[in-house]
Formats: sequence, C-alpha cells, structure tokens
Amino acid sequence: MTPERHISEAELHAYVDGELAAEDRAEVEALLAANPAEALLVRDIRDLHEALARRYASPLAAPVPERMQQVLARMPVHGGGEHSSSKRRWMAVAAAALIAAMAGAAGYVVRDLTAGARRPEMAFIASAIGAHSVYVPEARHPVEVGAAEETHLVQWLTKRLGTNVRAPTLLSLGWKLVGGRLLPDRGLPAAQFMYEDGAGRRLTLYVRKEAGFNDTAFQFAERDGFAAFYWVDRPLAYAIAGRLGRDELLALANAVYGQLEQH
Amino acid sequence: MAAEIPRLRRYARALTGDDGEADDLIQDTLERALARLGQWRDGDSPRKWLFSILHNLHVDGLRRKSRRPPHVGLDSVGADQSAPAADGASGRDLDRALQLLPSEQREVVLLVGLEGLSYAEAAEVLAIPIGTVMSRLARGRGRLRALMGYEGGYEGGGKSGQASLRRVK
Repeated sequence: MTPERHISEAELHAYVDGELAAEDRAEVEALLAANPAEALLVRDIRDLHEALARRYASPLAAPVPERMQQVLARMPVHGGGEHSSSKRRWMAVAAAALIAAMAGAAGYVVRDLTAGARRPEMAFIASAIGAHSVYVPEARHPVEVGAAEETHLVQWLTKRLGTNVRAPTLLSLGWKLVGGRLLPDRGLPAAQFMYEDGAGRRLTLYVRKEAGFNDTAFQFAERDGFAAFYWVDRPLAYAIAGRLGRDELLALANAVYGQLEQH
Repeated sequence: MAAEIPRLRRYARALTGDDGEADDLIQDTLERALARLGQWRDGDSPRKWLFSILHNLHVDGLRRKSRRPPHVGLDSVGADQSAPAADGASGRDLDRALQLLPSEQREVVLLVGLEGLSYAEAAEVLAIPIGTVMSRLARGRGRLRALMGYEGGYEGGGKSGQASLRRVK
C-alpha cells in the first residue's frame, strides 16, 4: 500500500489563496474531505479573512481627507492623457459611490447572506449587480480603460487578478466591447467588462477569483430589474448582468462561457 | 491613484492599529509618490507601487521607533491603542492580535488576506522571495489563529495537524 498523500501546510495556504493550479486544487479538495484537521485550518483562514474584511471596512467608504486630495491634485496627468484632475477626483467619488451602492445592493440579498457566510456566491452576485448598476448609467466615464486599448486592459486585469483574464467577443450577438475597469470586492481585485448593443443597452461581465464557491453550473439571479447569470470556472468566478430577459442573457452567458472555456 | 486611497488607508489601519498613524503614513506615501513620479512607468500597477512605498516608509518608521525607546520591540509598537470600536470586543481582539505579530508577518497576512494580493505581488511589494512570503504567511496565520482562540490554535506544522482540536468558540 502506498502511504496516504499528505497535504503540506504551504499547500493549504496556497489553496485558500487561490494560488494552486486547477489539478492541485482538486487534489487538495479531495484530501481535505478526509483530513478534518486540515479542513479546519482552511476554514479558520477563511474566517480570519472575513473578520479582517469586516473589521477594517470603514476606510473603504470614508471620504478621502482633504490633505490627501491636495497631494493628488498636484499629481501630473498620466495614463494616456485622459486623466485630468477632475477625472481623478471623479474616480475617488466613483469608488465611494460604488462602495455605497454595493452596500445597498447587498441589502436586498441580506437574508440570503445571513443565511450563511458559507454562501459567498450570493455576495459575489450582489457585488456584480451592484457594480453593474453603478457604472452602466455613466455617460462619460463608463469604463476606466476603453476598448481601443483592449490589449492593455486585458494585460492589466490579468496582472491584477493574478490569473488569465480575457474579454470575450460578443460581436456576433450584436454587442461590442466598451472597455473595463478594476474594482475592489471584499479584499480581492475584481474586473468588470462592459458591452453595448446597437440600441445603447449595456451589459457587464464581472470576474473575480472564486473563494470557496461551490456551484460551477450556471445560476440565475434577478434583483431590482437586473438579471444575472453566475458560474465558476476555477480559478475564476463570473457573473454577467444586464436589464435583459432571461433567455437573451442566457445566450450571452453561453457565448461567454464557450469562449473562455476553450482556453 | 485616487482610487487606491481607500484601500491604502484600510491596509495602513490594520497594519498600525492606529487611525491617526495610518493616515500620516498614507500622507507620507502620497508625498513620496509625487516626488518620485518619474520612477513610475505607465502601465505599472499604481497599487503595487504605492504599497511598496508604504512598506518602505513603514519599515523606516519602525526602525526609528525601536531606536528611541530601546525597550519597545517591533512586536508591540502601537499595541495598546484604543482601537476604533467599530465592531466591539471581537474587533479589538483582532486589532490586538495583529499587533502582537512581528511586523513582517503582519504585512504579509494583510497584503494577501485583506488586500487580496497574489503571492507574487506581495513578494514584489515587500522585495522578498515568494518562499519567504509563504513561510511568513503560514507563521503569521498560525499565530493569529492561536491568539484569536480559533479551533486548533494551529501553530505551523501541517504534519502535527491532529494535535489539539479543542473547540473554543
């Protein structure tokens, strides 16, 4: 008999932090089922992360102090000549608005969320819809990096999320890429891609590293007139959201899934 | 860069355990960033850059502090500040437990666990090898787990994982 494979401590941490390759991840998951002490460590680390996020959440929603804004105002233009100081100020405002909106968006799934912190997918969907509802109405600044710089956008988001991120092409379904942005989501970097159709309707694809999510199949959610499909394709979780009918959105979700899955 | 400030402030608060000290640190970080803007290459992540400036300033600050009162070790700097009472006793326990970690473990635990940096990014920010990130992370989390009275009080060593499974909560 071969001795049972042991999970190293480093592997357990890397597992929680989303640093393992898919096959190692699956292996650790299988081993965790048979090793309660290790499973406990994994749970404790996740509890610790939640406690940290809760404890230190307040600066995320706080206004930026005047003295910091003064330094920012002295920063010269960077990043493609479009970053006027008013745009930078706008970005700070947008970040604050987003936090507020996400708090609001989380409100309507609050029962689901309190039903168990074990359902991080509910929070993920709330974040995706919250981010959607904040940025989609923007006429002048819907995205941080426009589709004209798609290569840069994808490289940047890939770097920030720490794993390969791609912007799927939905032209065949009549939607063109507007651009994307980086967002904070419970201590993790998240990416949002925005698309627009000929009628000016918009939809967003929200991407983040999954963190202990269970379901990998498509899940449908509908809140406040927004519809969303959510799925996990490790190491990433995706949510596509829009003010669209379920069937139309499902077709788009399928197209996105199909394109991203191939790689 | 404005978009990075809320997260920098959050990190600095958890790192220093003191709101005022944290904001001073961010202020200094921004000033230094402005002064060294020439070193920032377009396309670089502003977050990583700002975090590494913050890290350097923090380390400088600790060095200065530890020189003055020869008794105060890195571990206890800022330990007993009365923390913002946002979520009560358990929140203050977390503040205290964090401050009991050696600074270099606290940094890694927070960069990865609170700010969601990858190991590679944390290594870059702190200018240390990835292996060091991983070992500090394991030690720091093990110690926090014990300090917070989590399940096993697991202090390193996946090998002896079975050891003491007392449920404290």
